[in-house]
Amino acid sequence: MATLLRSALRPLRPLGGRRGPAADVPLRGVRHGAGLLYPGHIPTSPLQKALLAAGSAGMSLYNPYRHDMVAVLGETTGHRALKGLRDQMRKDPEGAEILQERPRISLSTLDLDKLRSLPEGSLGQEYLRFLDVNRVSPDTRAPTRFVDDEELAYVIQRYREVHDMLHTLLGMPTNILGEIVVKWFEAVQTGLPMCILGALFGPIRLSAQSLQVLVSELIPWAVQNGRRAPCVLNLYYERRWEQPLLALREELGITEPPTVHVRGPA
Amino acid sequence: MATHRSCALWSCCGRRWSRVMRCCRLPGFRSSWPRGPLGARHLSQEKQATETHFGFETVSDKEKGGKGDIAFRFLNYVRAQHKRKQKKQLRAQQNVSWEEIAKKYHNEEDPLGGSRVVVCDINKEMLKIGKQKARAQGHKAGLAWVLGDAEELPFDDDKFDVYSIAFGIRNVTHIDQALQEAHRVLKPGGRFLCLEFSQVNNPLISRLYDLYSFQVIPVLGEVIAGDWKSYQYLVESIRQFPSQEEFKEMIEDAGFEKVTYESLTSGIVAIHSGFKL
Repeated sequence: MATLLRSALRPLRPLGGRRGPAADVPLRGVRHGAGLLYPGHIPTSPLQKALLAAGSAGMSLYNPYRHDMVAVLGETTGHRALKGLRDQMRKDPEGAEILQERPRISLSTLDLDKLRSLPEGSLGQEYLRFLDVNRVSPDTRAPTRFVDDEELAYVIQRYREVHDMLHTLLGMPTNILGEIVVKWFEAVQTGLPMCILGALFGPIRLSAQSLQVLVSELIPWAVQNGRRAPCVLNLYYERRWEQPLLALREELGITEPPTVHVRGPA
Repeated sequence: MATHRSCALWSCCGRRWSRVMRCCRLPGFRSSWPRGPLGARHLSQEKQATETHFGFETVSDKEKGGKGDIAFRFLNYVRAQHKRKQKKQLRAQQNVSWEEIAKKYHNEEDPLGGSRVVVCDINKEMLKIGKQKARAQGHKAGLAWVLGDAEELPFDDDKFDVYSIAFGIRNVTHIDQALQEAHRVLKPGGRFLCLEFSQVNNPLISRLYDLYSFQVIPVLGEVIAGDWKSYQYLVESIRQFPSQEEFKEMIEDAGFEKVTYESLTSGIVAIHSGFKL
């Protein structure tokens, strides 16, 4: 019993070297390089992960503008789903390439001028238009901190950066209604608990009218397309900027999206 | 007579007691109670009788029979109420709350009671917030706000009667220098007071405290403030701080005498005190 408790309190990554005064006291060395799997990594014990998951879930519900809390919820609860995603990526040739090369979508890596010069209707153009219309930037994604596997940390980072691509693919705006639709699609595709929770609890703050539209039209459409489409993480978006958006949608089996009015928080 | 008195004192069951009281007391009164004016004694007798009458079940008419009129009964009732109120106030006066005591000492025009206080911090933002808080609490005069480093205070020697620091000395790089500066600016007879996190002396509480500090506090920092690292640093710096005895020795090394400490909450925090003599 005592050993079980001890193991629940020790950070998951075993650390060599001197032990501190008690087994549940993390070592100083942990923060200073030893045991860090990637820059920004914060090793956490199972108890801390549980507390973080509970706290971030509550805080996300209480204040939906805390995007960092949604991210933390994803990181602390997504271990199994991330492993599944990683395996799916490994099996697909394009996905395996992504895992190998580890591309990142950020303003520094994007060539904005080139994207703007692309023909109308291409993925690159539509993506830029989406960023402009919704006034978002790909650099607002928080780095991964609480995932204790370096490859899985990249997978969740990639998932976050692909989220904006999904908005473009599904033609959904970034208001609450649009976000919920994308969450439903992602929940079906990735199985991440954070997506499932977001899909189920997000609609709590919606008006009755929006809820009606959501349940009757949007969710069935999202679920259908989510099941039909292959894993969206397997697309090397950085190489597909010139591809017309409609062609890409056809490739993935995504039907015409229903119109969601960009009217604000619904 | 003695037997009568004793039966009044020692009988206890309700009805019998009241009856006994009245039967025994009347003769007893005449000899044992000081002879006051007839009216007063008569009243006190009556009071006992009516109190028992009100407090316990009514006794039969035979014993009651014509004991005083309604005016007396009413007067006695009012007197009894007054006495009850007095007793209540007395009891309340004995259980004064801290708030009431503090209110008695509080002075609206001069909350500091004539003393002058200098608030010193190395961080300008902290001073600003402190100023706002003081103003909100009603302090208008008597406070000076100085930007300064605890290791090198911008004050002359022998200036202050009291130097107090709460949860600040842990963040000073060279604690011994801060203690020496404290010694320098205090007047002879001045007192040094320090409230700071310290070492827990009870092993069970220590384990629970460690558990809470390292497992829960950084999580709370992340969820509430979005800042894991600062709170991780906080709990680690608490562990690095010297124990009560060690800190006491450091204070003595700086020249303070009569150094004592008091641990609060099993040692989670401690108040150290020393005098410059």
